[in-house]
Amino acid sequence: MSRLLVVDDEANIRLLYTEELTDEGYEVVTAASISEATEKLQKGTFDLAVLDIKLKNESGIELLQQLVKERHDMPVILCSAFSCYKDDFSAWLADGYVVKSGDLTELKEEVRRVLAKKAQKAPVGV
Amino acid sequence: MDWECCWDRDVIALGDCPNIQEGDEDLLLSRRRRILEKCCDCANFKRDLERFRESNHPLAPVFSLVHDDHQRQKNQIQSLVSFLDNKTLEVRFLNELGSVLQSSVDLEEVLSVALTAITAGKGFGMNRAFLLLSDWDHAVLKGHLAIGPRNYEEACQAWDEIASNDMDLQTLAQSFRQYKLSSERDKFHDILEQLTVPLSDEDHILIKALDGKHPVLIEDAFHHPDAGMGLAHLLGVDTFLLMPLHSRNRRIGIIIADNCITHRRITEEDMHSLETFAFPVAFAIERASLYDRLQVELSRVIEAGNKLQEQQELIVRMEKMALVGRITSSIAHSIRNPLMVIGGFARSMLKTTAPSDPKREFIESIVSEASQLEGVLDEILNYSDSLYPTRDFWDVNQMLESVLKDLQDTLPQKGCECSFTPDTGLAHAYMDIKQVSYCVRTLIISGFDCRNREQIRIQVFGQGDTILVSIMNTGCTVTQTEIDALPTPFAITHELNTGIGLALCRTMLEKQGIPLAITVPPEGGITYMITLPTRKEEQS
Repeated sequence: MSRLLVVDDEANIRLLYTEELTDEGYEVVTAASISEATEKLQKGTFDLAVLDIKLKNESGIELLQQLVKERHDMPVILCSAFSCYKDDFSAWLADGYVVKSGDLTELKEEVRRVLAKKAQKAPVGV
Repeated sequence: MDWECCWDRDVIALGDCPNIQEGDEDLLLSRRRRILEKCCDCANFKRDLERFRESNHPLAPVFSLVHDDHQRQKNQIQSLVSFLDNKTLEVRFLNELGSVLQSSVDLEEVLSVALTAITAGKGFGMNRAFLLLSDWDHAVLKGHLAIGPRNYEEACQAWDEIASNDMDLQTLAQSFRQYKLSSERDKFHDILEQLTVPLSDEDHILIKALDGKHPVLIEDAFHHPDAGMGLAHLLGVDTFLLMPLHSRNRRIGIIIADNCITHRRITEEDMHSLETFAFPVAFAIERASLYDRLQVELSRVIEAGNKLQEQQELIVRMEKMALVGRITSSIAHSIRNPLMVIGGFARSMLKTTAPSDPKREFIESIVSEASQLEGVLDEILNYSDSLYPTRDFWDVNQMLESVLKDLQDTLPQKGCECSFTPDTGLAHAYMDIKQVSYCVRTLIISGFDCRNREQIRIQVFGQGDTILVSIMNTGCTVTQTEIDALPTPFAITHELNTGIGLALCRTMLEKQGIPLAITVPPEGGITYMITLPTRKEEQS
């Protein structure tokens, strides 16, 4: 079972993601801030992270940069209320980009795609 | 003794004195004036004086002495009067010249006045004059303008013309500037072109004269290789005057003047007069040149000022737009998260609600409404983006193919048939590809709710400096009133989608100066026509 880390400052959104992604067969761990996410990342391993970009006074892009540097084997999907960040070069580091919507089909497809891509890259036996 | 002259008579008649003509009748009655003005020069009086001397009268030698001295003094006075007359004329001329030069800041006018003054009979009366000016950009002294005849016939014609029109210096200069300036320049083009000397060539006679700051008279130049023989051959005269023009310590230029037609001797007096004339001319030339440069700089400053004002206005406008954009974006963000939660949980609930459950319909309504609101939010955010179009040159065929590729699954689901044939010979269009793609997509899907089966035909073709993109939807039936209302946000038609989609399209395109025309063809349906520019200047 793939383990996902969801980082969003909105409690209801974390709950929605947890419900929907658990239904899809993933183990979902959530964090409301960068510090909480960092703490959870130190405690365990994750197959993928779903990050919001605007986190109260913090930026999901900063966490993305940190993850790319320290956990380059863990893919990241950015999930934002803004479509404009898609064209921002700082967001190009992410493996996927989804605009937030009540219909989570696109997010679920993106999670599947990114995990499949990661599995293809992984060395045999791992 | 009988005297031949009438000096001994108080009153004489007309004809008694050979020196008194009609008009001088008052002298007939005034013996004193007659003796002083006429008798002293009269041959009869001189013979009377000779006879008186021969008479051995003791006063006779005294009379002769007094008469001779009177004659000498009279001649001296006449010479002084003549000198003063000349000086008066010269002062008047210099005064006129000064006032004309002082009142002008036009370089061409100043040069016309200066050269006319040198060659005019009322001025210095030289036959020809060449003006060379310092070109500091190229560090050379360069022939600029010349005036005068090139041969005897031309000289006679010009002088006759000047004599018949009794003009003052200013009128003469104006006439020269108006009718002859360019022709004189052309006439002496061959000589002027060769009159170019580096300002650093201190051995050249022109530079020597310029540095010497005083007029130099070159005589018999054909026989003196070091004294301007080359210049003499170029000018075709062996005697000429070099008059340097200085303003403060700046070397303004030099005037070469000669009497190539009359060969009148250039006197010391001519040189002194010209020297007096040189300073105001040099000053006027420098002032006019500076004024020219000032005008150029002023126009640059004005242009820069206008540009700065435009930039400031643009910055203010952009700040306002940025503020609108930030507000719109912030509102959209604040709405999207709760909307996502509502729509997301409604969908979750729907999954676990049985089809027979009476609440299922309500939950479906929540999902549908939340979805529609998300669509409106997308449009608002797109509008916020539309405030900042990023234009560049793009391939229109590729853009249309890319839009159709995005819609390849949706179009059959909605029962639409779409045809597009690219035109490979098209130039690239200057546009914000993201926004125009959005507009094309919106126009294509605008008729998805039509009752009839849709047939969408997309055509693209070049027309002058523009590319026309025509999107024809044959499945919709709309009236002209509905067409007029289409670009209005949330306008409702029977057939087409509502919302701000079309209004947003028009705004986005207008911001890029791209017209959007919506027409109803006679055969029915609706046609959207977008005119894309292929050049930057086509932008409004």
